Amino acid sequence: MFKDIADVRGRLGRQQYIASEEIGTVVYLAQSLCKPILAEGPAGVGKTELAKAWAAAVGRPLVRLQCYEGLDESKALYEWEYAKQMLYTQLLRDTLQNVLSDVQSLGEAANRLAQEEDVFFSENFLLPRPLLTALMSDEPVVLLIDEIDRADVEFEAFLLEVLSDFQVSVPELGTIHAKHQPMVLLTSNNTRELSEALKRRCLYLYVDYPTHDAELNIVRLKVPDLRPEMAQQAVAIVHQLRNMDLRKLPSISETLDWARALVTLNADSIDEKTLTNTLTVLLKYEADVAKAKRMMGNGGSRYP
Amino acid sequence: MDDRIVEFVRGLRAAGVRVSLAESVDAMNAVEALGIAEKNTFRESLRATLVKESDDFAAFDELFPLYFGSSGPVLQSALEDLSGDEQEMLQAALAAMSGRLQQLMDWLTSGEGPTKEELEELARRSGADWADNQREGHWVTRRMLQQMGFAHLEEQIQQLVQKLQEMGMSQEAIEKLLGVVEANREALAEQAARQVGLQIAQQRANRPDDLHGSDLMNKPFNTLTEEEANLLRKEVQRLVTQLRSRAALRRKRGAKGKFDSKGTIRANQRYGGVPLELKFKKKKLKPSLALICDVSTSMRPVAEFMLRLVYELQDQVAKTRSFAFNSDMQEISVTLSGNRAAEAVTAVLYNIPPGYYATDLGNSLNTFFKEWLSAVDGRSTVVIVGDGRNNYNSPRTDLIKTLQRRAKRLIWFNPEHQRQWGTGDSDMFEYAPLCDAVYVVRNLAQLATAVDKLMAGG
Repeated sequence: MFKDIADVRGRLGRQQYIASEEIGTVVYLAQSLCKPILAEGPAGVGKTELAKAWAAAVGRPLVRLQCYEGLDESKALYEWEYAKQMLYTQLLRDTLQNVLSDVQSLGEAANRLAQEEDVFFSENFLLPRPLLTALMSDEPVVLLIDEIDRADVEFEAFLLEVLSDFQVSVPELGTIHAKHQPMVLLTSNNTRELSEALKRRCLYLYVDYPTHDAELNIVRLKVPDLRPEMAQQAVAIVHQLRNMDLRKLPSISETLDWARALVTLNADSIDEKTLTNTLTVLLKYEADVAKAKRMMGNGGSRYP
Repeated sequence: MDDRIVEFVRGLRAAGVRVSLAESVDAMNAVEALGIAEKNTFRESLRATLVKESDDFAAFDELFPLYFGSSGPVLQSALEDLSGDEQEMLQAALAAMSGRLQQLMDWLTSGEGPTKEELEELARRSGADWADNQREGHWVTRRMLQQMGFAHLEEQIQQLVQKLQEMGMSQEAIEKLLGVVEANREALAEQAARQVGLQIAQQRANRPDDLHGSDLMNKPFNTLTEEEANLLRKEVQRLVTQLRSRAALRRKRGAKGKFDSKGTIRANQRYGGVPLELKFKKKKLKPSLALICDVSTSMRPVAEFMLRLVYELQDQVAKTRSFAFNSDMQEISVTLSGNRAAEAVTAVLYNIPPGYYATDLGNSLNTFFKEWLSAVDGRSTVVIVGDGRNNYNSPRTDLIKTLQRRAKRLIWFNPEHQRQWGTGDSDMFEYAPLCDAVYVVRNLAQLATAVDKLMAGG
């Protein structure tokens, strides 16, 4: 558990995650108020990474639920293991026969079987999916619900029960309460508006592209092999690209990929040739690449 | 402190941020957990609990310093640096001035500015209670400074210097004095600006909520004030969010289709062929839209709203292509999907300049047929948002006819009253019979009905 905000930032830092003061505050609040965090922001600014670092910093397992269109309760919560139930029925046939050996009528047999039916709908045959795993875990976990904006509205509504009471109902077993309240992080890339009700239950964290200095720190930490002046230059170029009117702006993860590419290529400096050759690491659309090349061509003198 | 937070929440609500009761309770808890000693932490804990949309950060950043900031920089005293004689000289020189100006000069030299109550009174007299938004605050602040006597300050200082020189104060002392007065003057102006800002925010929060409700719903788009327009934008967003859950519901109903024998056999291979899971053929009921929005000069007053609507629809319905035209058609799907609402709409309006007498729907449709006809197939609904004013160009009703036949439905949203159709360069009477439905969309109530019918039809 974190002692204070500085502790949060320090321990996340040791997991190689540079947390801004804002992130530190929100994570600390999430812990002390026991509320989920909803992290929004452009793709690739380290929202998912935050969950991983958070879990590692508090030494807890991370349970991840990736959302997509069409995700429903059975895939997120639990499934009955039909195959295992079938297998057990086959194997236990003799025992079943013993149980039913002295009955006279069909009705009596059905009744007796009904008494035993709990065997087949017990936790033995329950296949927990991420949400149930997080609730039933013997130790507290960090639950990451990734890209919630991709899931359907019904799923969002279903999540409300889980997130506010930390319990779910399985019709055959009854209501399952969380043994330990998990710490929850939801991420959204903002492809659609989330419902008010869900937002109300969460602490809101907007993760934006980092400032020049912050990004430089990240690059230095994650790609220590890149020479400092090259790192400086690389980050400056990325920031310049972000100011352009592009279809998809380069994110931190792309900056890091590019920095690694520069190391791998053994580049001594970022000259125009290296830049043109590696630009596709940063930009993922043909039109963007062309636009950036034009811009770099005009101001070529600024990149020695 | 709790009272202050409650007031702040009211201020946020008045500025259009939706804050629920549960969220303000969260804010209190957060403040209790983290304390208020560290200003940044305090600010972030309030923001994380109260503001759940990055669009609203601006309102938060504007109001926070007004409620929790200091009342402005502190004034310094000029007297400390002066000797006893010099102080007396200054007093004598000030005493010779007229009442109001004497007080101002007294504030500026002594370092003891006006009290909180005096500032409040001054702001009120300058009309802070009548201002509607923070932009009018600059104007009120200017008036307030004038009332305090800033207008004549320059000459007063000149006179003061002259007097002090006559009395025999050293040049060095005078310059020091002037330096302090200059600094204090800026500080006082800042104090006044903050006071006005706070008073405007507070009185906005206290004003009854008369903008909500049916009045707004029935107000024509082109007569809205800016404040109403902001409210309406939120309203449009809410409207479309409601629609989405409806659309999802329909999709679910559509999911119960015919029995799928092949799928069932495949799915049950793992149970040794015993059919435990039944599979059904899913009916795809996903709506698919092609939105065409007119942003010509005649549409400009309402274009922003209509583009907002287009934006929200594209946000909600996955399969949407959006287009806008003035003299020629352009696809705007990418601009809309890559940006936040306000920026996206501005970008589109910027990219397609109005230009007088340039509207040409016929030509635009022609381009649409050449370039993007693939966006329309038998499953898609085409929505044209426009007034049908075609600048006496060929209406190309033949293309509309083809479009209607090709699409599942062709719907027209027209912001003009039926009375105005057919007048001047309007070709609406020619287009109307070719559409599956035409809706007059002059206010939010009509827009709500129209969009509802659009979605209900699949």
